[in-house]
Order: sequence, then structure tokens, then C-alpha cells
Amino acid sequence: MLKTTDVTGGYGSVQILNGVSLAVERGKIVALLGGNGTGKSTMLKALSGLIKPWSGEILFDGERIDGMRPDLIVRRGLVQVTQGKEAYPGMTVEENLLLGAHIRTGRAVRARALERSYAYFPILKERRKQLTGTLSGGQLQMLCVARGLMSEPKMMLLDEPSAALAPQVVLDIFRAVARICRDGMTLLLVEQNVRMALLLADYGYVIKDGVIHLEGPAETLISDEAVRLSYLGGTVADRDRKLSM
Amino acid sequence: MSYFIDLVIVGLSLGMVYGLVAIGISLIYSGLDVVHFAHGEIYMLGAFIGLWVFNTFGLPFPLVLLASMIITGLIGVVIERVFYRPILKSGGGYTVAGMAMVICGFGMAFVLQNIAFLIWGPRSLPFPVTFGMPIEIGNLTLPSSYVWIVAAALVLMSALHLFLKKTRLGLAVRAVAGNKDIAYLMGINVPLTISVTFGVACALGAAAGVLVGPINYVHVLMGLGILIKAFAAAVIGGFGSLPGAVLGGLLVGVVESLGAGYLSGNYKDIYAFILLIVVLMIRPAGLFGILAKVKA
Ligand SMILES: Nc1ncnc2c1ncn2[C@@H]1O[C@H](COP(=O)(O)OP(=O)(O)OP(=O)(O)O)[C@@H](O)[C@H]1O
Ligand SMILES: [Mg+2]
Repeated sequence: MLKTTDVTGGYGSVQILNGVSLAVERGKIVALLGGNGTGKSTMLKALSGLIKPWSGEILFDGERIDGMRPDLIVRRGLVQVTQGKEAYPGMTVEENLLLGAHIRTGRAVRARALERSYAYFPILKERRKQLTGTLSGGQLQMLCVARGLMSEPKMMLLDEPSAALAPQVVLDIFRAVARICRDGMTLLLVEQNVRMALLLADYGYVIKDGVIHLEGPAETLISDEAVRLSYLGGTVADRDRKLSM
Repeated sequence: MSYFIDLVIVGLSLGMVYGLVAIGISLIYSGLDVVHFAHGEIYMLGAFIGLWVFNTFGLPFPLVLLASMIITGLIGVVIERVFYRPILKSGGGYTVAGMAMVICGFGMAFVLQNIAFLIWGPRSLPFPVTFGMPIEIGNLTLPSSYVWIVAAALVLMSALHLFLKKTRLGLAVRAVAGNKDIAYLMGINVPLTISVTFGVACALGAAAGVLVGPINYVHVLMGLGILIKAFAAAVIGGFGSLPGAVLGGLLVGVVESLGAGYLSGNYKDIYAFILLIVVLMIRPAGLFGILAKVKA
């Protein structure tokens, strides 16, 4: 569904991505892992069109999207949820969600998308008339994920949904994301919470200094001694938790 | 007492006009991150175009108003696309491009003045609309032109409010004003939405010009004074806040009218700035400054 070849890019004249190649199959969950400042968010921006790649190729659904304007990429069914839980604080929860459905014009389609998002995150329905500025961090993250669903995309790019949240809240969000994927969403998940990400994912990439350092099926990565020492710190017990998720 | 009420009514109707122009300046500021210094000339152009439509087609006043708003709005879109867009591509606000844009705005003001001068000449032209009999409410007699201004401005402001609150495009305008990257990720065509924002702002400026036409003359330099007062109104209200722009406009209008009535008409233009200084001393962010900060 998504395939990148040797994507390079950065900000101004500073190169951050030094040739990233990765692939995400339809219906799969792929984790993109790595430490602070290794270029994970920059890669997502290149995919969603917020920055133009300098070179390389990005194929989505058989079509080249590198260098395309971000709104046109959204129209093709690829949606990014950014890292900073960036909602519009002066708007209500429902207005934020409806913004996510901007490319859908039919009244019925918009209403249906709204109900679908509320079904995944019932708390948002309770808060729908509230200003986004009054939400907690976890609710804000739920809002951003729910808003990403509003255009009914084929694939989502999710940037560190667990950042700066309490473990219980992270679990809630990961459960909802798992449910969304079970219902057919393809997902590229960026995380620093490596354990959680690999429990959810089918396949993983580890990025370092703007290149893919390591890749493999999630099971292999989670048991790979080298990865564990450098990034994970997880245990076998975590893997069993996956069954209950 | 009735003198006082008369002054307040005149002030409120002028204030509505300042408010319309200030809303435009605020819309452009929040959407494009620049102060548009040619907005007074858009107001002037709107007045002339309204006068032209009125003289040529003899349409009723509401249609003249609408026609001028549409034509001026479209002219605004062209100006933004052709002249401002290339500069803003490289950034706005406090960047070098932002400064270039300010200078470009001043330049555009001169260009528009000169174009208007070439077409309509240097004389003040009357805008001979008749609004009918004065309206009597109790023992108060209101000149109907002022009632017209207030009513039309209220209708336009309500329409803008509904547009921004209830429509898909209006929501997109607010989103682009708040954060362009996130707006892009919502699938919003940001460049197109910026054009819409600019067009709406110019249409509102044109409406102000057409509304003022019948009580003042229409003149090539009429945009100079209004820019400064609308700017004061926008700053008093809290830059970027639309309710603030309206409130600021009304305050400026009333203070100016009372000052001219009781103190001296010679210093009419100073009162707005005394008000500006006083408000900024008490609330540096303007009256609606906290709301305005919501802009991410
Ligand atoms: N807008 C920007 N302008 C210039 N440099 C930037 C910008 N955003 C990020 N960078 C730099 O690019 C590098 C990679 O940043 P990026 O956000 O992609 O990292 P990340 O892997 O997402 O890290 P984190 O896990 O902390 O979010 C960092 O060194 C960062 O300082
Ligand atoms: Mg990041």
C-alpha cells in the first residue's frame, strides 16, 4: 500500500533523512521506532507532504505522491496524526472532528463519520460541545486520532500517540487503535514506547540518523537481544499481554 | 440629552463602518499573518465601484452593496494571487518576507489610489442614494441613512458569523487562521482558503465604503483616514479577534463622535488614538486579547 525508496529530505539546508526505504502492506500495522531526533516525525512529514522530499520515491496505492500538496495526499486516503496533539483550542470537539471530514461534503457521510469516531471514543461524544482547550492530554490524543478517521482514510500515520500520557491512558488509546486496525485500517505507527508498539505491530523498522538501521517482524525484533538492549527493555510477559489487548 | 443621543447614534453607525473594515484587517491578519496596509484603498475602491454600479444600472441600494462586494472581493482575490502570494510563499509575520509584504501593501495602496485617480478623477463625488423619511422611535428621530448603515452592517456581521461557524468552508477559514500545517492535514486546500479569506475581507471593506458613500462623498483619498481608525479599532479589540474588531470599531466611532460634538471637531481624528493609548495602558493585549491568543 505504501512503499518508499531512498527518501531524503530535511529543513532548509539541513539534511535529516538520509535515504529511508520502507514498505507497509495493506491491512498491516508497521512500527517505525527510534530515539529522540532520529527523523521519525520528519519521515512522516515527507509522507504526508508537509515537507517535500529532496530525492527518492514515495508510492501510495500504486501512485507517486512525493512532492504532492498535503491536501491532495489526504484526498488519496493517507492521513497523518501529528505528534503534538495539535487540535484547535478555540473550537469545540465536534468542530475539530468535522474539520477532519473536510474532504467529505455530503451531510449524511459527515454524520456517519462522526458516529464512527464517537463509537471508538465515546468520551468525545460526551464532550462534543466543549472547547478543545478544556480536554485532558489523553482526551486530546483521542480527539486527534478520531479526527484522522473522519475523512475515512485507507491508511493512517500515527506519530507517538503515547507521548506524555499516563500508562493507563496509553493502554486505552492503544486498545482503540487496535480496534480501528482490526476494522481494516492500515497503520504506520511511530513510537518511542517500543514495547507497546511492537506488541501491536506486525512488522517494525528502527531508524537511526535518518536511515533504517534494522527491520524485521515484530516478534523477531522484540526478542532480538541487540534491539532489546538498545531500544526496548521489554520482557516476554509483555507479549502475553498482547493476547488480552 | 437628545444631542447626546444623536451623537451616540452617529458614532455607532460610523463605528459599524470602522468595524467592518477592522474585521477585514483582522481576517487577513489571522489568515495570512500580515497586516494589510492597502485595506483602506479596498474600501475606497468598493465605494467607487458601488457608485459606478448605482449610476450605470440604477439598481436598488442593497443590490448595489452586494454587487460592489462581489466585484471588489474578486479584485482582492486577484491582487492576493498575483502580488501577495509570491511574497508570502516565503513566510509572513516577523520574517523578512513579512516585512516585504508590509511594504508591498503600502505600494499597493498607492497603486490603487492612482488607478482610481485615473478612472474617476480628483473630485469628491456625491453618492445620491435616497433612503426615505427619517425613522421615528418614540420621541427620537433617526436619519434613515444611519439606520441603514447599522442594519446592513449587522446583517453582514451575522452572515459572516454564520459562515465561519456553520459552513464547511467557514470552518476551513478558521482552521487555516489557527494553524496552516494542521489545516493541510485535514485535507484543506490552504492556498484556496487563503484566497477566500482575502476575498471575504475585501468584500467587507467594500461594503463599508458603499455604506459610507451616501453620508460622505466618495473620494480617491478616502481610504487614508479609515485605515488608521480601523487599525486602531482592531488593536483596541485585540488584534485578530473578530468580536474585538467590532467592539473596537464601535468604541472608536462613539468616542470620536462625542469628542467632536462636545470638545472640538478640529481634532476629530485624535480621539481614536487617545482611546487606543488608554486601552493599551490598561489592557496591553486589547479588550479581547485573550481570545485572540487562541490562535496557535
Ligand atoms: N521544523 C524544523 N526545522 C528545523 N529542524 C527541525 C524541525 N523539526 C525537526 N527538526 C530537527 O530534525 C531532527 C529530526 O527531528 P524529528 O522531529 O524528525 O525527530 P523524531 O525522530 O520525531 O524525534 P522525537 O521522538 O523526539 O519526536 C531533529 O534534530 C530536529 O531538531
Ligand atoms: Mg517526532
